Amino acid sequence: MPDQFAAPEPDAAVKLALQRIRETTTAGQGSDMEGLEFNEVVVNMGPQHPSTHGVLRLVVTLDGELVKDVIPVIGYLHRCKEKLAEKRTYYQYIPIVDRTEYLASMNCEWGYVMTVEKLMGIRPTRRAEVIRVLLGELMRIASHQVAVGTFVADLSPLGTAMVFYMFRDREVILDLLEEVSGARMMFNYLRFGGVRYDLPSGWVEKCRAFIRKMPKLIDEYESLVDDNAIFLQRTVGKGVITQQDVVDYGITGPNARASGVKLDLRRTRPYSVYPELDFEICTGTHGDVFDRYKVRMNEMHESLKIVEQCLDMLRPGPVQLGSLRAPYVITPPPGSCYVGQENPRGEYGTYIVSDGSRYPYRLKFRDPCFCNLQLFPKLLRGNKIADAVAISGSIDLVLGGIDR
Amino acid sequence: MTLEIGTVALTMDEIAERLSGAFPGELADVRVQEPDTVVARLERAKLKDVARRLKELPQLAYETLNWIAGVDLGTQFESVYHVYSWRTNTYLELHVPVPRAKAEVDTVSDVWPAADWHEREAWDMMGIRYVGHPDLRRILLKDDFVGHPLRKDYVDLAENHPHA
Repeated sequence: MPDQFAAPEPDAAVKLALQRIRETTTAGQGSDMEGLEFNEVVVNMGPQHPSTHGVLRLVVTLDGELVKDVIPVIGYLHRCKEKLAEKRTYYQYIPIVDRTEYLASMNCEWGYVMTVEKLMGIRPTRRAEVIRVLLGELMRIASHQVAVGTFVADLSPLGTAMVFYMFRDREVILDLLEEVSGARMMFNYLRFGGVRYDLPSGWVEKCRAFIRKMPKLIDEYESLVDDNAIFLQRTVGKGVITQQDVVDYGITGPNARASGVKLDLRRTRPYSVYPELDFEICTGTHGDVFDRYKVRMNEMHESLKIVEQCLDMLRPGPVQLGSLRAPYVITPPPGSCYVGQENPRGEYGTYIVSDGSRYPYRLKFRDPCFCNLQLFPKLLRGNKIADAVAISGSIDLVLGGIDR
Repeated sequence: MTLEIGTVALTMDEIAERLSGAFPGELADVRVQEPDTVVARLERAKLKDVARRLKELPQLAYETLNWIAGVDLGTQFESVYHVYSWRTNTYLELHVPVPRAKAEVDTVSDVWPAADWHEREAWDMMGIRYVGHPDLRRILLKDDFVGHPLRKDYVDLAENHPHA
């Protein structure tokens, strides 16, 4: 009989952390406090820790409150998505893409559908393009609301108000999306060459009412925390991502833009109808936690601008290519293709190798959170453990995307 | 340092020409894939050297590694590198064939730090060993998992995941 109460054998990550402690101790480095003995402790933060927003596990080496080392451990939400693609037709795979980065599922679907369309050499109808941008930007707002809301909730009790405000208004967006697609979060709405349904009658008016109301609500969010001394103390100057980090680690999305890099695939690698739209790339200057928060807030305003322009651009027309009315079996020609697309969290790319059959031969996702998480050890080292929570919240990870 | 995007104006054909000029006999089958990617093939023995020089290449400077994918082509594997040039705002896709019998290729994690986790993922899923990688552990699957599931000849057996 195995002893159920025995301490579990440390796994590879914990062993690595312990080994690194031994190495620094023998090298005579370690604690900042001279003359004191090393007192380093290895702590498992996660996989069920409330501040990691998902099943992220950080093996943290602490010296008192100081973070000495971080080893991220991922894979707790691994659902073999890339393997599943090998036995699903291109159509059957659309709902599975939804479940990768589940807070921005419309954008993920869009990235996948765009890649297959590029492989097949088709373009969606004009009305479908506008609807995609429209819903994609609504999804971006909803995603940023979760990102900022939960991040502020991690910081202090006053953040709890923030997260409730955010989720209250996010529900309106999800209702709008539900009315179009039939689902709140897992849409299965986009199709190759178009979208599944046209917008229902009366939807445009509802959407207009929402975007009229929303700017005031964003101001309300900002008034909750922007002048708060505690919030500022905990965010300004903390967890700085330099531009060199952006280059070295392939950081994308709001995290890169907060460091002053004008990297936005909607502008640098334009797709769909974005070239016709008027919007700014929001950037920060310092790349700290506060700038990342602010960039997301500003992006909500920009997304509202885009949604409004799209509503004006809507013209009657088909939402699905006539030649592809019910193409449940499509066979893209052999070849490979990668399309990167600006998700709320950064560059979400899909790489597909086709062998000309009904199934993708190889499908790979380039997930923004996977790349951003790689920076964690460098970013958290030397901070207090409480700040580490704030910093990891500001990076905005979605484990569904990281683990796939 | 202020990072500017797209400061060097070169057409895709010019970039492809420059690349084949700078790496004669190394980059093969250089072709342009619309709208902004150059695709090339490279022998695995030359990978590290070429990667270093690509990063330093005047005007082009492929400084950021975007992703790495392992692909099982049946007779051999392929390690695909997708790198980004900030100055020209274009991408380069490098296909490096890796023989099945000895699935090894040099690591580029000392050239592009981002390669670290991507190589671990390719090792985990496809079983391509990146020689010289500082910490080549499994990343998405459990430590005691047996086999590399994205290989086309992988057979899923219960004993492959003992603690599932």
